[in-house]
Amino acid sequence: MKTLCGILMLGILLATAAASAGDIDRTKRPVAKPAPTVHLPDIQKATLKNGLQVWLVEHHELPTVALNLVIQAGSDHDPVSEPGIASMTADVIDEGTTTRSSLQIAEELERIGASMGINSSFDGSSMTLNLMTKHLAKGLEIFADVLTNPTFAQKEFDRLKKQRMTALMQQKDQPTTIANNAYAYILYGGDHPYGNNPSGTQASLDKMTRDELVTFYKTYYHPNNATLVVVGDVTMSEILGTLESALSTWQPGTIPPFTLQAPKPVEKTQVFLVDKPGAPQSEVRVGYPALARNTPDYFPVVVMNRLLGGQFSSRINLNLREKHGYTYGANSGFRFNKGAGPFTAQGGIVTEKTDSAMREMKNEIDLMREKGMDETELKFVKNGLIGNFALTFETPGQIAGALQNIILYGLPEDYYKNYLKNIDAVSLSEVNGVAKKYLNSSKMAMVVVGDLSKIQAGIEQMHFGDVILCDTDGKPLPFIKNSDK
Amino acid sequence: MKRILCLFSAVMLMSAMSWSQVKINFETYKLKNGLTVILHEDHSAPVAAVNVMYHVGSKNELPKRTGFAHLFEHMMFQGSAHVAYGDHFKLLQEIGANINGTTNEDRTTYYEVVPSNNLELGLYLESDRMGFLLPAMTQDKLDNQRDVVKNERRQRVDNVPYGTADERIAKALYPPTHPYSWPVIGYMEDLTAASLEDVKGFFQTYYAPNNACLAIAGDFQPAEAKELVEKYFGGIPSGLAFDRPKPQEVTLPETKVLVAEDKVQLPRLYKTWHSPSSNTREDAVLSVFGDILGSGKNSRLYKTLVYDRQIAQSANAGQGGSEIGGTFQITVTAKPGKTLTELQTVVDSLVNDALTNGVTETEVEKSLVNTETGIVNSLQTVLGKAISLASFYDFTGDADGINKQMDLYKGITPQEVQTVAKKYLQKPCVVLSMVPQGKTELAVQNSH
Repeated sequence: MKTLCGILMLGILLATAAASAGDIDRTKRPVAKPAPTVHLPDIQKATLKNGLQVWLVEHHELPTVALNLVIQAGSDHDPVSEPGIASMTADVIDEGTTTRSSLQIAEELERIGASMGINSSFDGSSMTLNLMTKHLAKGLEIFADVLTNPTFAQKEFDRLKKQRMTALMQQKDQPTTIANNAYAYILYGGDHPYGNNPSGTQASLDKMTRDELVTFYKTYYHPNNATLVVVGDVTMSEILGTLESALSTWQPGTIPPFTLQAPKPVEKTQVFLVDKPGAPQSEVRVGYPALARNTPDYFPVVVMNRLLGGQFSSRINLNLREKHGYTYGANSGFRFNKGAGPFTAQGGIVTEKTDSAMREMKNEIDLMREKGMDETELKFVKNGLIGNFALTFETPGQIAGALQNIILYGLPEDYYKNYLKNIDAVSLSEVNGVAKKYLNSSKMAMVVVGDLSKIQAGIEQMHFGDVILCDTDGKPLPFIKNSDK
Repeated sequence: MKRILCLFSAVMLMSAMSWSQVKINFETYKLKNGLTVILHEDHSAPVAAVNVMYHVGSKNELPKRTGFAHLFEHMMFQGSAHVAYGDHFKLLQEIGANINGTTNEDRTTYYEVVPSNNLELGLYLESDRMGFLLPAMTQDKLDNQRDVVKNERRQRVDNVPYGTADERIAKALYPPTHPYSWPVIGYMEDLTAASLEDVKGFFQTYYAPNNACLAIAGDFQPAEAKELVEKYFGGIPSGLAFDRPKPQEVTLPETKVLVAEDKVQLPRLYKTWHSPSSNTREDAVLSVFGDILGSGKNSRLYKTLVYDRQIAQSANAGQGGSEIGGTFQITVTAKPGKTLTELQTVVDSLVNDALTNGVTETEVEKSLVNTETGIVNSLQTVLGKAISLASFYDFTGDADGINKQMDLYKGITPQEVQTVAKKYLQKPCVVLSMVPQGKTELAVQNSH
């Protein structure tokens, strides 16, 4: 190796000795070239006898395999009176099976260097397994055991419940988490799943029982409500037989129909303040319930937001960070859920400049709504999205994520095949149309977590709207009116 | 206690008998000006990573000028002689690149992952700021990024629960002249004091091709890449030699017990010892010991404190080796109603049991298997490979370290783990209690 490098090195020096960098004209920049052709993963499909669909993408670069069982029930299926059930189900499912204890499951996975994770989001639950190919058979055996024979033991449930309640307590230490939770509650209220902390609350956890988790599991964890994504150093013929036998006892069930209510729109702009005495920064969130993943305006909205606040060189970040130095970073985004997720502009703002930063955020939203963007800007953001597409299928994890996206949101299977075409087709009038349609600073919640003794007066002077003082859950504080201060 | 700061926040793992080491093929050469170039071809996706690592970090700073290496990193994104203010990001974001820079104690690194046919743009931009940064430097740019970095400090340290723990520990662990005694992010007053002259001096001393390593990984043709590298970097003059901070003998004559109040609900205990530098056998051995104590549900601290007795909310342990020294740290967060004195008693008895009675073959094997998996997974992306190649070059002089990562772990036995752990963990340490405001009674009261 060393010798070979030496020879190569000599060759280079000889070949390029004539062209010194001192000679080049640096004012001539390399011209950006069109994005390269992206080879999309070839999805192979099979259906197990129990009806479970298996989507497999072969990826042989490294001797590893990533599995992701996508289950179509997440925190959005929590009863509004009892948030946290989907997420606790995910937490407790791997805490013991009919033949393995909690510690045995962990021990067996540790011995093969495998990591298993069960998580829930608002839109679904997922069970993942990442491991070296040589340990696939053993890993799958444990994975299947956890999925099909969980005991939800009372002792493990009690332990994790206490742990979760303590974690909720700790969330009160984190201004960013307080802001996110208060903001969600203010936007959606306690009657909508998106308004609740998906981890649950002290109250909901306090009354939660293991039987409720068993019910959630028995209702939704079925092969006809799930899809298994496999990406990595394995072929369908190698894995199919193992899956078939490992999951043979896992049977379909009747999945109850589910509809998510539409959130109530925000009627007028109001400011919600949460006190965090002594905080050197204010966490600011502004926005409203907006769009679901299935919106026909998805592509123009993504393009529009990329310029508004969706990348480093976005208007909001350049304004608040690079121009004014108010923050380490500010951004905006639409969270496209199965239901209407929020549009949010946000940042951690230096205390003294909280009011000014809120004004600048609002101004950028207004400016985009009123004036939109021009052709040059449109080209800039579209090129960026098109170029970036090449970077999104590099790792098994990224590929598995793309497949999960299709499965969870019911996207067409040729979604990624048509992605570039769809971005490219977005016109200026569409982008500026969706800016007018979906950006509205006169009907938004402006939530701030910070040191009110330093920021409240300044915010009031901005006259954004009524100012309402809230607790750390985003609930209005009683008996304190503005004028009483 | 490895502390890495990024320019901005972005949304970034063997059986004991037979290692599945993946072989990374690369070639390395030097330009006349001393720039080390490493090329690794990987045509599996149409992407290329360009990573320029400068062998300078916060340990090259001087007291009263802390945080400068990281502040300087920010300045590298503010334009150069042929790249207008704001254009560095704009040009790269228009081609869809992923971009960032990170600073730690020992090195500062800059990268862009680009669609492969735009490799040239990445090389152009990196070379322009390596060669031509100063003509574009202004007081306004410095003032703005100083504000941004102060906000970063608020975001990462001052407005974060337990956020100041690391710097309190470092200050107690090292003498004030030791470059690991101050935080990478720096102190507010030092950030305020940084001047344009400091920027110029720092650039001239450390940002020269002979103090840098350019690693390119991904979908490109080597011949073409070499031409481009020579074209853009070949004419940048070498810098002068400078002294690197040397490893210093650091000892704590006796255990230091610190208490700090913070805006937190639960008290947390930190125990930190001096330990070996990175890329050494002892660093590997202690990282195995860290896994045995704190990694996974069956690890000794977690199982006893969190799972069985449920007196702690979390328990972690780990070795963190840096270039001229390292730390071994245990952190435990109490459950409500528990004191850190109570937790420390259990922690100490568990550690002492491991030091006295040793660890098991199975425990060592589990750690090694997980280390192997971690290494393989770190090779998934072209960026991960580029950074790893450059790091091995910078810190060991041999980029092929990427292919020998398991060598340091070969043949580790329970006996060796016990011996090395005893060597370091029987010495005095820094004990820090971070407790809720007004609740100093929850802190460790008597240590040793």
